[in-house]
Amino acid sequence: MSSTLDVDNDSPAHPGEHHDHGPSDKQYFTIFWVLVAITVLEVSTYWWDDILNADTEPVAVPLLIVLMVVKFFLVALYFMHLKFDRPILRRIFWAGMLTAIFVYVVALSAMNFWQDSGTVQFNDPPPAVSPPTTAEVGGATAGG
Amino acid sequence: MAEVADLANDEIADVEFPDDTHATSTGISNEKLAMWTYLASDCLLFGGLISTYLIYKNRPGTIPGLAGSPVKISSLFNIPFTSMTSFILLMSSLTMVLAVNSTIRGDIQRTRLWLVATATLGGLFLGGQVYEFTEFVREGMGFTTNVSASAFFTLTGFHGVHVLVGVIILLSTVAISFKKKVVAEQVETVGLYWHFVDIVWVIIFTIIYLIP
Repeated sequence: MSSTLDVDNDSPAHPGEHHDHGPSDKQYFTIFWVLVAITVLEVSTYWWDDILNADTEPVAVPLLIVLMVVKFFLVALYFMHLKFDRPILRRIFWAGMLTAIFVYVVALSAMNFWQDSGTVQFNDPPPAVSPPTTAEVGGATAGG
Repeated sequence: MAEVADLANDEIADVEFPDDTHATSTGISNEKLAMWTYLASDCLLFGGLISTYLIYKNRPGTIPGLAGSPVKISSLFNIPFTSMTSFILLMSSLTMVLAVNSTIRGDIQRTRLWLVATATLGGLFLGGQVYEFTEFVREGMGFTTNVSASAFFTLTGFHGVHVLVGVIILLSTVAISFKKKVVAEQVETVGLYWHFVDIVWVIIFTIIYLIP
């Protein structure tokens, strides 16, 4: 059993890795509490309509997207050390991320996701939702 | 062959590299580079799954030729419960970075402690996901009930598999630390994977669960 752990500074294969860069434990806790606060704000939007007795969707949805992006960057830059690591790693990750965003924005646009073009498959308004009856539930379970 | 390998290692050991560099053309270890490349490619996988759900989420049972229940799976979401599991996953990211910092300090005991804590929180998240799936099926919303359910289960199921693999890697790292020395970069590379799983959940939780 090993009671000590190599910090790797003397390793011929990985010298100097895990050096002095990156946040301290205290800074990590600070980032964590910021993430928790953002999450609480995000979750609270679920009850905004009831609390304010109004349609808050036009405000809540853009806010949720902004908060999601902030959380994403906090985790990627600090927890994943992208802010402190070599630029090539940032380029690799952002290349993958941006490619995915580009490809799927194009795909969603091709499916007319952003507007109602009247296509039966994708753009007709969703059907009126009715609560499942016992027969439906039983049938769905049996079928699925 | 073993002698040749030892000789090669001895030769490598004689080579001195400046701080913060590796014996590679990029100056970054191959393992770390490979992990980042994998994570970049995984963005495409989850991008595809999220897009598929977005396309189908409001159109259950309306696609010609694909019969199914008209009930949207989103009508069954339990936001308070999912918020709790999201918080658990967020907390596991904190324990993961604490494990990495412990490794950097050379504190093997705390490294193991934080790695086990991270794996435990990951296990709790998985338990929550299994419970959620079970509730959906109990409500009559199975994998093939309609296209929105299929897209949802595929997306969250793939994420769950990623978490499961992460838990296995974390526990394997703890087990390896009892057998041989664990270098800090190994723990950091495991951490990269774990944080990516957390990042993906940040997106899923917002786009799938919170945005109506």
